[in-house]
Amino acid sequence: MNRLHPRIRLLWVARAVIFALLVGGVAAAGVLFTPLPIPTLAPVAISFVLLVVGVPYALLRYRAWGYEIRDDSLYLQRGVLTKVYTVVPYVRVQHVDSARGPLERLAGLASTIVYTAGSRGADVSIPGLTPDGAEDLQDRLKRLAIRAEGDDAV
Amino acid sequence: MTHLSPLSVPYRAAQRSVSIAFALVFLAFSGGTAFGGILGGLGAVALVGFAVLAIAGYEFAYYERFEYELTEDTLDIRSGVFSRRNREIPYRRIQNVDISRNVAQRLFGLAAVDFETAGGGGTEGSLRFVTYEEAQRIQKAVARLKRGDTSPDAPEPDRELLFELTPRELGIVGALSFDLRLPGIVFLFATSILPIVASFVDVPIPTRGMAAGIVGVVVLAFFVAVASWAAGFATAVVNYYGFRLTRVGDELQYERGLIQHYTGSIPIDKLQTLTIEDNPLKRRFGYATLLVETAGYAPGAENAGGSNRSRRGSEAAIPLASRDRVRALVEEIEGVSEPTFERPPSRIRRRYVIRYLLAVGGIVGGLYGLNVVFGGVPWYIPLGLIPVAAVAGVYQYRHRGRALTEDHFVTRNGFWKRETRFVPYYRIQTAIEARTIFQRRWRVSTVTADTAGSLSIVGGDAAAVDIEAYDAASLRDELDDRLRDALAERREERRRERQATLGIEIAEAEGDRDETTAEAVITGDDGRIVDGLVDEAEPDTESEPDAEPEPDAEPEPDSENSADRDAEDSADRDASDVDADESGESNDEVAESSQFIWGASVTDERDDDADDER
Repeated sequence: MNRLHPRIRLLWVARAVIFALLVGGVAAAGVLFTPLPIPTLAPVAISFVLLVVGVPYALLRYRAWGYEIRDDSLYLQRGVLTKVYTVVPYVRVQHVDSARGPLERLAGLASTIVYTAGSRGADVSIPGLTPDGAEDLQDRLKRLAIRAEGDDAV
Repeated sequence: MTHLSPLSVPYRAAQRSVSIAFALVFLAFSGGTAFGGILGGLGAVALVGFAVLAIAGYEFAYYERFEYELTEDTLDIRSGVFSRRNREIPYRRIQNVDISRNVAQRLFGLAAVDFETAGGGGTEGSLRFVTYEEAQRIQKAVARLKRGDTSPDAPEPDRELLFELTPRELGIVGALSFDLRLPGIVFLFATSILPIVASFVDVPIPTRGMAAGIVGVVVLAFFVAVASWAAGFATAVVNYYGFRLTRVGDELQYERGLIQHYTGSIPIDKLQTLTIEDNPLKRRFGYATLLVETAGYAPGAENAGGSNRSRRGSEAAIPLASRDRVRALVEEIEGVSEPTFERPPSRIRRRYVIRYLLAVGGIVGGLYGLNVVFGGVPWYIPLGLIPVAAVAGVYQYRHRGRALTEDHFVTRNGFWKRETRFVPYYRIQTAIEARTIFQRRWRVSTVTADTAGSLSIVGGDAAAVDIEAYDAASLRDELDDRLRDALAERREERRRERQATLGIEIAEAEGDRDETTAEAVITGDDGRIVDGLVDEAEPDTESEPDAEPEPDAEPEPDSENSADRDAEDSADRDASDVDADESGESNDEVAESSQFIWGASVTDERDDDADDER
């Protein structure tokens, strides 16, 4: 079972923090600009709660994540509250992307996205790879998909 | 290159004019008369006239510049008045050819043709409009060309009427349909308009108003229910009037519709899943509904509105039929009968009962809260639902199940709307096991088989809900295994077919000179493969009768080597052709599986040849 790059924790924690601050900011704006009698500490409290929930969640998420490149299928497991195990047979792979969002670039990470023709196709994305690792994985999956000969996709 | 029907010009122009002229007239009469009295009115009429002329001109240009052609392997459409678009759609990619006609179009003998492909989920090409005869010709020709049959007077494949909706069944479909839009409108009306009306009328509510109000609401509700039922009845009858499902070769063809008439084709080999749907009422009287879906498209999913196509999952392939007939149809189409289902572990019954009890508890709690705040709320009434919750839980458990048949993953879920889904293994895209935090407490999981179907987008995937966690892990791997086995089998089958036709082609190409060559290809190839690559020996006899164009009297040549060499060349050529057709069929991975026997033998031989030459 492959784990994600440990640095992904940093990324997810950062995302949780940013989200908490954003929501806190909106709440603060609400306090400032509406006449409603909202306690001044409410935005801080909201941010705090989001942080307390969000940061451990991000860490747990890292612990729950794993993927495996098996002989004929890609296997993923993930999910904190709802555990999800996905089997993607290589025969079904339509195409493979590797992508790097702005935050990911900042953290020096990348993700690989595997598309199938299924209705949940884009669901299968593996975050937390090094850029080289992502390209490697993309290449490997591509070759495995070609080898598996998925000549009719649907 | 063919043009559309000339009649499409006036029809399209009229269609467009009606909407534009309507707007213009409205504009002109409200604005024009205000500005300049009669003069303004005249101007408005002139404007409308001009607009209509412009539209007619545009539609004529559209007609002039719209051309389509059925070539040997693509459907070409060239269109566009200002910006041109040339589109070529390979027949292999066309999933459905739909013909629709509304009343006006039927009057003119016109029809709209739509071509659907799997990609994008939208209509890939449409012809607005051709004559009905032409539409039917196109539908047939596309089906024929898809089979790779290029001669126009090839014999029609067998037609077999699978299902016809009897008037009685149509009546039942109507009786079971409700048009839910009407209550919505009434509700909207009641909530937005009534308070305003009430404020004007000034009803003395506190005294006798209350009773009158309740009576009024009851009467209104009754009226709405009857009206929505009537509307549902009318819609169903209009939609499903004259419903017929026919099997034409390897396609299903349906037709339906009273006012707007639809004809569509569904290639059987593009079917993703079949679903049998029923509810307690239908079960009681032994009826069921059959739904089919193809990738990205569910036949009959478009609204009766015509061009405004919203795909809200599949409507019925069979709107209603007796359960036995539906079962027989499933067996006919997919070759699978309803299996015995394996239920979730029995402790799960408690889970469902608890779930429903929690729901009842939630309602009671909410009402109690209201009672505390406002007072006078009869919060205890929903407590009467407790026995219902218990029964509902048990029923939900009873109707849930899963089964693995020889070729299908079958699941059944739901009590009020019970859906039995048949997913062929080779249609599975991914297998997903999910365990919510609650399911973990009960040590169960849900395994979902994702397909490329369109129903699944709205959450209708085939799912084995709440099965033992340890079963789930093996089930998802099992699905994965069976998918690959089924695919390999299919490919093998197709290869065999291809080889058969290839053998005939080679024989024809080589002519009388040495027919034995073609034979040698087949036998030689197979022989080697049986020795070398495939474990389960594929007996020669299996492919030979198909492949052999000549009677058995032909003696087997002794000089197999030379014949072989010849055969090799032709095999090489043909195999590379085949390779080019099938995307990415690479020769180097042959040893991995038995499906590339062609590629395999050819590569092997090439190497041998090279050795020989050295």
